[in-house]
Amino acid sequence: MSTHTQAPAALVLAKAAAEKKYPARMPRHGNASLYRRVVIGLLTIAVLAPVGLIVYQSFLTAAFFSPRAQFGLDAYKYVFTDRNFYKALGTTAIFSFGMVAIAVPLGGLLAFLITRTDIRGRRLLEILVLVPMFISSIVLAFGYTVSVGPTGFVSLFVRGILGFVPWNIYSLPGMILIAGLSHVPHVYLYVSSAMRNLPSDLEEAARTTGASIWQVSRDVTLPMVLPALIFAAALNILLGFETFGIPLVLGDPNGIMVLTTYIYKLTTLFGTPTYQLMAVVAVVLILITLPLVWMQRKLLRNARKYAAMGGKGARVATLKLGGSGQAIALSIIGFWLFVSVALPIGGIAVRAFVDAWGEGVNLLDHLTFANFDRMLEVPSLVRGIVNTVLLSVVGGAVAVGIYLIVGLAGHRNWGLSNTVLDYIVLLPRALPGLVIGLAFFWVFLFVPLLTPLRPTLVSLFIAYVVVGLSYGLRLLQGTLIQVAPELEESARTTGATIGRTWKDVVIPIVRPGLAGAWALIMIIFLREYATGVYLMGAGTEVIGSLMVSLLQTGAMNTIAALSLISIVLTGAGLALALRLGAKIHD
Amino acid sequence: MNYTISARSAVFAVGTALMTAFAAAAFAQDVPAGYPAGYADVIAAAKEEGTVSVYTSTDAAQSQKLQDAFTKKYGIKIAYNDLGTNGAYNQVISEAAAGQTTADVVWSSAMDLQMTLVQEGYAAEYASPETGHLPAWANYKNMLFGTTVEPVGVIYNTKALSEDKLPKTYADMIAFLKDNKAELQGKVATFDPEKSGSGFLHHSNDARNRSDFWDLAKAMGEDGAKIYSSSGGMKETVVSGENVIAINIIGSYALDWVKESPNLGVHFASDYTPAFSRLALITRDAPHPNAAKLFVDFMLSAEGQSLLAEGGLPSVRDDVTAGLNIKTLNERVGGGLKPIAVDEGVLEYMEPTKRVQFLNDWKAALGR
Repeated sequence: MSTHTQAPAALVLAKAAAEKKYPARMPRHGNASLYRRVVIGLLTIAVLAPVGLIVYQSFLTAAFFSPRAQFGLDAYKYVFTDRNFYKALGTTAIFSFGMVAIAVPLGGLLAFLITRTDIRGRRLLEILVLVPMFISSIVLAFGYTVSVGPTGFVSLFVRGILGFVPWNIYSLPGMILIAGLSHVPHVYLYVSSAMRNLPSDLEEAARTTGASIWQVSRDVTLPMVLPALIFAAALNILLGFETFGIPLVLGDPNGIMVLTTYIYKLTTLFGTPTYQLMAVVAVVLILITLPLVWMQRKLLRNARKYAAMGGKGARVATLKLGGSGQAIALSIIGFWLFVSVALPIGGIAVRAFVDAWGEGVNLLDHLTFANFDRMLEVPSLVRGIVNTVLLSVVGGAVAVGIYLIVGLAGHRNWGLSNTVLDYIVLLPRALPGLVIGLAFFWVFLFVPLLTPLRPTLVSLFIAYVVVGLSYGLRLLQGTLIQVAPELEESARTTGATIGRTWKDVVIPIVRPGLAGAWALIMIIFLREYATGVYLMGAGTEVIGSLMVSLLQTGAMNTIAALSLISIVLTGAGLALALRLGAKIHD
Repeated sequence: MNYTISARSAVFAVGTALMTAFAAAAFAQDVPAGYPAGYADVIAAAKEEGTVSVYTSTDAAQSQKLQDAFTKKYGIKIAYNDLGTNGAYNQVISEAAAGQTTADVVWSSAMDLQMTLVQEGYAAEYASPETGHLPAWANYKNMLFGTTVEPVGVIYNTKALSEDKLPKTYADMIAFLKDNKAELQGKVATFDPEKSGSGFLHHSNDARNRSDFWDLAKAMGEDGAKIYSSSGGMKETVVSGENVIAINIIGSYALDWVKESPNLGVHFASDYTPAFSRLALITRDAPHPNAAKLFVDFMLSAEGQSLLAEGGLPSVRDDVTAGLNIKTLNERVGGGLKPIAVDEGVLEYMEPTKRVQFLNDWKAALGR
């Protein structure tokens, strides 16, 4: 599982170290600059086509393909004078910051415990803490309603003891808590990779002078990983702005609206879809992202001074937790896992095997396989499962290839094209999947050469690759940066071209890492739901998007069965990742 | 040698003749009774096209029987796209603008969006031989056909409420919601007209027909009603006891749910039960126009209507005996069935200022 260990923050350190050795004055020629420009250029087109279409649409008065469409700022006027927009914006901000306030400290703490201390069962924990990240938020939210909703089985159990249910998940605090806990892995991922690269001499020195383990973590480790923490916070704010499933399922009934559900509402508000208004909100989301990327780049540049602490800090001695320390640490992690994994998955699992639940319903009386039986009778649902597996397994593998090509183009590349790459990568992440999926639908419909691809899985695949870009590319970049620059340099000095160096040195070294990356991207593709809503058609159904379309009629039995299947598939992917990843470790 | 050859060719000739005869007979059998003689050509052309693409908001599970029977009967494949009401509308207008029409038949419960498609010229005119069996309100200018009649009703949790306590009429419901504020607080569910096209249709149709609709809305607001975007979602909360009653939901689904769900009851006001209809149209540039005609005819035929009714979508024809039909449904709901006519009336609230006004009034009534 070390494929993800080198996510950006650590990448920064490695990159900064490499930059010192390998400065910008490296000869331009022979550095595959043509290859780099072509690849980054193509990627830019793939990302900017849908994004540009959205920006263009926002300045029109009707759908861009309508003969009535004219240039105008009417859409901006409407959105910026709509009370509900500001309400949604405010709620989104509270939601995102609240989520960060929970996810960052917890994620940082988990990273510290797992990378810097001798906590028990670390190998297993490293995988387990990532699980919440792999469940789509719509499945997650749905699972919570069954277990801890007002009449969920856990709620009823607690009410039996206390006489009341001490929580309400259909509230903003409830949503924040759930989103915060489920985003802990995103923080963990970045912070833990930064922590792994820290030399442990400073911590040891602090320990020997009598500092407690918490003092060490606060005064020594924390300042050193601050850039990673800040970056993780920024990324999570972005993710918070983009979250759809949790507000849709938990916020909606009580009228709690965030920007993504506001966009969703714009599809029906005026009877016919008002694309220009959706586009304006999407542009707002893009504008929020840009400063975040800028900040990230600035942080990465400044990170060099932190990296100066030591270049070869591979040796990590772990801090001893001691008996009670172990117990406290493990129970914190255990409780968090219970809340963010066991409760939602338990809810889904129960719901999939019953046809009714709640107050006065004995679950045992309603045990049934009918949800699955009925699902198997409907060809489109069965096809959805097959397509999803196909897209994740085969598509995931091809995606790794594409990300590798892009990754190589950005590998030890410090030019303008790399700046472009940094911005391009995060753009699709800023847009709600629903909107980017719609934009891709139009691209495939209106761009002449692409039209034959629309009714095929290829259109979904391309959209997935773009949506998964930020995650997938970071994964690959992390793997690539692990190749010691000396190896590449020695190849180059003995006369190998850069292409040859990549082919014979870099790729063979990262190959095991690619397998791990494949498994993780597979999972990301498995859980995707919003992107396919507009793109899928008869024959190209996928589980996630089928669930969204079933949600409109409220076929909960089928949704539950599909959710469980998606979780089982994710579990299989994770097991595979573990097997493949384990090889890299040793 | 010669002999054998000629014998063979004789056998071959006879065989061919027989096969042609069979084929002709098969064609003849296919043309349903009462259809024009020229219909055999439509069937032949449709078979040639081989497939029909349906854009719909109806979950595949509900229409699987219809699909299977159609494919079995004619050997024509159905590309079934369950896109939701907005998805279907969006894809149709986008494809038409790109000159890439893929949809042959659009079959959606959003009566207003379907009528918009017709008004904006996306639909083809087709005088289906089955129209004679449809009520007059269910055929709009031979372009838009009502295929079902689905009542709007109430579901309730039987542990919390009993049938005899439920209000009999629309006016009683308003009083009931007002009189039981304490027990019902935060436990009333209804459709969100902002997020759900069906919800908008149900509420706005009430507003068109009932002067006391806003009293109902205010009464729901006083009970702290929660809003949902699907009937199924509301059912889940009523069964689980999270809500006690859900108002203005799709009653035909509910009639099926109560058969297997515990704690769940369905109820209709005896004086006023509006019903919407899933509307079908053939697209103007349908790539498979004959298969589209065949599919629409099949959907409206006694056979197709029976299969839909068995799947829980009551028939608009009163001569269909499987499941519920418009007549038996009216009896089931207490005699107050008022189908929403397929006419320009459904467009009343598509006018933006009127729509915004309606939604603002709705939010004000609900106290949001």
